Amino acid sequence: MKKQILFAGAFAGAALACALPASAQSIDYGSLTQLFGEPVTTSATGSPQRSTEAPVDMTIVSAEDIKRSGATDIPTILSRVAGVDVINWTAGASDVAVRGYDQAYSPRLLVLINGRQVYLDHYGYTAWSTLPVQLDEIRQIEVVRGPNSALFGFNAVGGVVNIITYNPKYDQVTTGTVRAGSQGYVSGDAVATFKLGERVHTRLSAGIERQDEWNNAVIPSNVISTHDPKRWSANLDSIVELAPKTELRLEGSYSDAQQSDVAPTYTVYALHYKLWSAKGTLTSDTKYGLLQGQAYINHAKTTFDYTGVHYDFDNPIVVASVQDLFKVGAAHTFRLGVEFRHNKMNTTPAPGGEVSYTVWAPSAMWNWNVSRRFALTAAARLDHLQLKRTGTFPDPNFPNADNANWDRQQNVPSYNAGAVFKLTDLDTFRAAYARGVQAPTLLEYGGVQSISDFGPPFGEFAITGTPFLRPAIVSNYELSYDRALPQLGAKFGIKGFYQRTKDVKTSNGFFVLNTPPALSELTYANVGVSEMKGFELSASGKVKGGFRWSADYTYTKVETQFPAELLAQTYTPESLSIAFDKTTPKWRGNASLGWSDEHWAVDGYLHYTGKFGMYGGFGLPLTPVDAYATLAARVGYTFDNGVELAVSGQNLGKSHQAQGNALYAPRRVLVSLSKSW
Amino acid sequence: MNQEFRRRLAPAVLALTLAAPALGHADSAKDLQVAGRALTFLENGPSGAAVLGVVFDPSKPASVAEKNAVMAALGGGYSAGGLTLTGKPVEASAVAGVSGVAALYVTHGVNYAAVGAAAKAKRLVTVASDQACATSGACVMGVSTDPKVDIVVNRSAAAAVGASFKAAFRMMIREV
Repeated sequence: MKKQILFAGAFAGAALACALPASAQSIDYGSLTQLFGEPVTTSATGSPQRSTEAPVDMTIVSAEDIKRSGATDIPTILSRVAGVDVINWTAGASDVAVRGYDQAYSPRLLVLINGRQVYLDHYGYTAWSTLPVQLDEIRQIEVVRGPNSALFGFNAVGGVVNIITYNPKYDQVTTGTVRAGSQGYVSGDAVATFKLGERVHTRLSAGIERQDEWNNAVIPSNVISTHDPKRWSANLDSIVELAPKTELRLEGSYSDAQQSDVAPTYTVYALHYKLWSAKGTLTSDTKYGLLQGQAYINHAKTTFDYTGVHYDFDNPIVVASVQDLFKVGAAHTFRLGVEFRHNKMNTTPAPGGEVSYTVWAPSAMWNWNVSRRFALTAAARLDHLQLKRTGTFPDPNFPNADNANWDRQQNVPSYNAGAVFKLTDLDTFRAAYARGVQAPTLLEYGGVQSISDFGPPFGEFAITGTPFLRPAIVSNYELSYDRALPQLGAKFGIKGFYQRTKDVKTSNGFFVLNTPPALSELTYANVGVSEMKGFELSASGKVKGGFRWSADYTYTKVETQFPAELLAQTYTPESLSIAFDKTTPKWRGNASLGWSDEHWAVDGYLHYTGKFGMYGGFGLPLTPVDAYATLAARVGYTFDNGVELAVSGQNLGKSHQAQGNALYAPRRVLVSLSKSW
Repeated sequence: MNQEFRRRLAPAVLALTLAAPALGHADSAKDLQVAGRALTFLENGPSGAAVLGVVFDPSKPASVAEKNAVMAALGGGYSAGGLTLTGKPVEASAVAGVSGVAALYVTHGVNYAAVGAAAKAKRLVTVASDQACATSGACVMGVSTDPKVDIVVNRSAAAAVGASFKAAFRMMIREV
């Protein structure tokens, strides 16, 4: 471990001191995509790459795919990506994970918009309805399977979803869409791109949506409260050309969402999100490479009442980074950077304290094109985390009731290494290794604190986080083979992967019996090891006459190594919410068929998820969720004046279907009308 | 091979023979598209309306055919980003005296070394559909599109004509 840290530190130190989310947004995705005839990404290494040459396992969902999906939300779009698991709890709440380990408030997926993290840092999950982006302004969604912490840092352990919007400098996108449908669904959004003078390019977007909450519960006693989902958001994206090769990108957003969520207690409750963000990115193409300085602030406020107790999460995070992306000689590309982040939240529901941490994280990436057919990539990052707590505790006998317990540091390295070997112009082999870091959330570090009376014989307990929690470390190994079949206009791929998670974090439920008068506590802990292995098959193609098709199938098997001494203390993986072997479906797959011509676009999507179990909530045993298949379709007609009329449907096979163990997902039919200028 | 088989085969062979030039046109058009787009990633490169000199050897039928295909593809103007290219045929022996062109497109079969040297003397960027022109150092850039787009840039040839490409582009192509 020490050697690893020294290696990473030395590697990064040589880095002049430099950063993270590397998505150099001055990159003209549109022109590069047209040039190479395939999607371009920066999510693999921070350097622009063709999707077929990226040294990671990645799928790119294009703007056309999004439009033809008929979906109104990003989780539905992601559910059709190979290996992605989506649990739809309620009309407004879904959790997304890659290759298993999905759970309430799924903390293993890093979600970004143009390189800005949009997952909620206090709990480490993504409230998808709060994303301040309209589907019409998304250029592509990049889905990386497996850890990518060496580039993006925390939470990028199961995978990364990087949402890339159109660039107002290069992409003139102006659209408006209204939709209406069953379950009282109504939405509208608009996107406008315009220039202010010769050097300022701006895109404005806004959207509003409401629908009725699903009205049938799988376990009625688990429904504490519900709220008909409604949301609105607005976003500003502006690029100022300061000089011919230097630009400043300014982004700001606000979103407000009310809905029913499912918390890690596996109960349904209503809550209210208010989020805003501001971001500035200075990019310059210099003789020293692509230099980028970036800073942003995310501020998330979440409020709700839960079993008579009011919770109020207030979580601002400031992130700043600098990086240089440059090429040395003909074959070597480097990215050097350093990131700073400061993250804090109040204690709740018992106020009076504040938990925070500061991170300094140098990082480096090296891409070596050894030959025309062989490329190597290595990336490393070291996260130096300084934890801190200020303020008061709710009781003098509260566990760890001394802020000095939070004066702790952690140094955690993460790595990515990949090799891409193009045996021929049609055959590509990949081998990848990654070491990812899933850091504890602020809530787990002590953001949550309260005292509950559990009655005799337990009496009063503290419900709290702990400063002694360690990051979970995820190691991932993957081999893949892709074959293009140009004569058929098709391609297919096969992948095998193995993943090991050490120091798995419990979601809740770990009792620590302290010596009175100190209160015993219900807290979080690192428990055991989890292993996942599996394979994926995928194929897709286009056929003359305007047809396209795709199919994929992913198998995963998860095994949990649970400490015997905890079993002896009557703990179980289920009681600590880490029974991932039971909560991960073994199979999931997709098939799609579409046809389009100048005016018409017709698409159908079939998705299958194998059976799995989910925590019952309030101490109930695992609830079985039967295997299910969903059918979705869309028919659209575009008139010559740019107006498009479409009819789409989700869950068409059944009137109601359990896709989790909260509320039943109903069949839904929508009509949409959009216009592009 | 019996007579009936040859009788049935003949139309197929004729069809393939007739189709061959068409396929050549299609590939040349794709090569041209890539070449035109690649030129937009030049620092201080051409923008707006610009003329692309199409270099050919009149004694080589393949070179002439490619020149014709490229000229046809350029037509009244091929647009890539902010650049609109029109074509001007240039015989390989006349490159040293060429004027009014923003860059040269070098067809298969010309004497790369001679054309490259003449273009360097005039500090003109050269793009070839034969990557050997670039790997040999005669041309600045070579492009191919079958089975997928591949672009190679010769750094010394680029330096010789004072050409430099945008950083993002450089990271996505092969440099020699």
